[in-house]
Amino acid sequence: MFLVKQAEEVEARMKRIAATKGVIGTLVVNPDGVPLRSTLDQSMTLQYAGQLQNLVALARSTVRDIDPQNDLSALRVRAKNYEIIVVTGDYLMITIQKLPE
Amino acid sequence: KDTATEQVTEDMLKEVVDIFISETDTFSLLDIPGTCVSVDADDADAIIARNSQYEEVCRNRAGHGKDVDRSVQTLNGATKNKQVQSNSLIMVDAGKSVMLMMIFINVLNTMTGNIPNHRTTDCPEAVMDSSRAAERSVASTATTVSVSGSLKEVEVDGNSLNTELEWELIVLSEKFQHCLLAMEKSILRNNSQPQLAAYRQLAVLEVKPDLVEPRKGGTESSQSPALECLWVFSCELSRGRSVSCMAWNRKNPDLLAVGYGGFDFGNQTPGLVCCWSIKNLKWPERVIHCDSTVTSLDFSASSPSQLAVGTRDGSITIYSVHSQDNRHMGPVWQLRWMQQELSSSGEEKEEALLSVGADGRISKCSCQCLWLLPLKRSVLTALTPGLCFDFHPTDSSIYLTGTWEGLIHKCSFSNTQQFVETYSKHFCPVNCVAWSPFNPDVFLSCSSDWTIQLWKQDHSKPLLGFTSAQKAVCDVKWSPKWATVFGAVNEEQLEIWDLNLSILDPVIVQPAAPGVRMTSLLFSSQTDCVVVGDSVGEVAVYQLKNFSVAERSQVNFSW
Repeated sequence: MFLVKQAEEVEARMKRIAATKGVIGTLVVNPDGVPLRSTLDQSMTLQYAGQLQNLVALARSTVRDIDPQNDLSALRVRAKNYEIIVVTGDYLMITIQKLPE
Repeated sequence: KDTATEQVTEDMLKEVVDIFISETDTFSLLDIPGTCVSVDADDADAIIARNSQYEEVCRNRAGHGKDVDRSVQTLNGATKNKQVQSNSLIMVDAGKSVMLMMIFINVLNTMTGNIPNHRTTDCPEAVMDSSRAAERSVASTATTVSVSGSLKEVEVDGNSLNTELEWELIVLSEKFQHCLLAMEKSILRNNSQPQLAAYRQLAVLEVKPDLVEPRKGGTESSQSPALECLWVFSCELSRGRSVSCMAWNRKNPDLLAVGYGGFDFGNQTPGLVCCWSIKNLKWPERVIHCDSTVTSLDFSASSPSQLAVGTRDGSITIYSVHSQDNRHMGPVWQLRWMQQELSSSGEEKEEALLSVGADGRISKCSCQCLWLLPLKRSVLTALTPGLCFDFHPTDSSIYLTGTWEGLIHKCSFSNTQQFVETYSKHFCPVNCVAWSPFNPDVFLSCSSDWTIQLWKQDHSKPLLGFTSAQKAVCDVKWSPKWATVFGAVNEEQLEIWDLNLSILDPVIVQPAAPGVRMTSLLFSSQTDCVVVGDSVGEVAVYQLKNFSVAERSQVNFSW
């Protein structure tokens, strides 16, 4: 029952993140590149998952080549209109947020 | 044997020396007798006889004499040239660059015996599973049309059940929850960057030129101190509840614990404690549900993750903010008080309560409860309710208590029979007492009789009294930065007083929203901000602007 409570909390948190002001979409991608959860439509999801997979791999190899004991934890790409925030662990969590103003 | 050396002289060289040479015996090193014997030798006859005997034997052998000598010639055929050509070997240069990371991972795996999960780094070419085609056909065609050639499609797992199971697993993993936390904070920081920057007194990141101008003009014209509301901590859990108490974490100045609970006497609503963090303005970091209305709370200084909460029904609970689970998840099967030796000195033994529960964890808590001085009225011996206390900033054995009667007692730990001194001026319950952090002899008290009194330690009558509105003053706190500034909250407004400027009126008055009562106040230790809680569960953070008070560390109140 403790685990159920945890799962509910995680779902609630994800909903809150998706409902935060400015957030265009969120997605969770597993290490093989398969999107598991997404609030965007299919084509956008696949696009983001595919493109970011490569970028994350490149960033991760950069970090670890310099210091093998280090690992990538988060990656932010700030563009003119919006920002893509990727938090990595085993799974990739990607959020696209529209910048204020 | 000593050898004497003689010098060779000219005469010795010219001497004639005789040398005799003789022959030694012959040493025979190898002696192989020959097989040839001369005819004239002595035993030649015997040997000749033997030879002829041997010839006889050879002649008598069967098949003798049938050997015929014959010559043969091999025929050499005519030679012919023939040409053969094989396929040329294609040589290819292959090279591989190994990243340091891969070497490290492989070494780690061989040492720990892990079998690595081989994942290809490049996405394979996708084939849309025909079973899902009906669902995704529209989208997939759109994708293939719109997507450029350099994009590789992600292989879609044909089995939807797999992804669901995987999702369940992820949701339970701690790493993912951590990811979510970090994500939430990052997003919210983006949104609320200006407010957070103002709080921390940093430069605001993006400033639009047309927005800056009017603001600048506004502040330049009026240099008067003002309060600017930065943000409000409020969530759906806390809406409607009244804020009863607030406390900053001793170690992490970004963490604020707020206790909620309705103060209606008949309404026993369950209480709530929310730990808000400056980094997440929309949702509290921790939510703790209590059985009864929360009336007071405080963080521990030595173990900063421990939060003690006092509730209306008289119980004190200590929660650990560190982890999400504060109590055993199942029945507590056994408890025991144990004497535990502190490691450094074998003398001191601290008693701790150990418990084991059905969720498989053992916890230890150690605290001691002592009942201190009872508060008695001077005339009757019944106990009078105590509403607040405050410890002396430098001498921690002395503390002040404010009572329901309006009396303030100064007590000390060493004297448990009677009060050291009693201050009486208020005739209504004293809601809060606060020692001045800069001047150890001075303290403030506020009460429901609409006044705030400033006292000096040895005088039984107050030095100054402040009244500004005809409402009960709920809370008063000294500013940690400026010696003459204090803040007070009465039911309808927040007041900031500066004794340097005026002792009759507050410097800043911030009225509350209509219908809302402000209930508690805290100054932020690191920045110029004031945190105010009110009766609808909102905790507003105000920034003090244009407060140009000369910062003096010691102020002498001379009267």
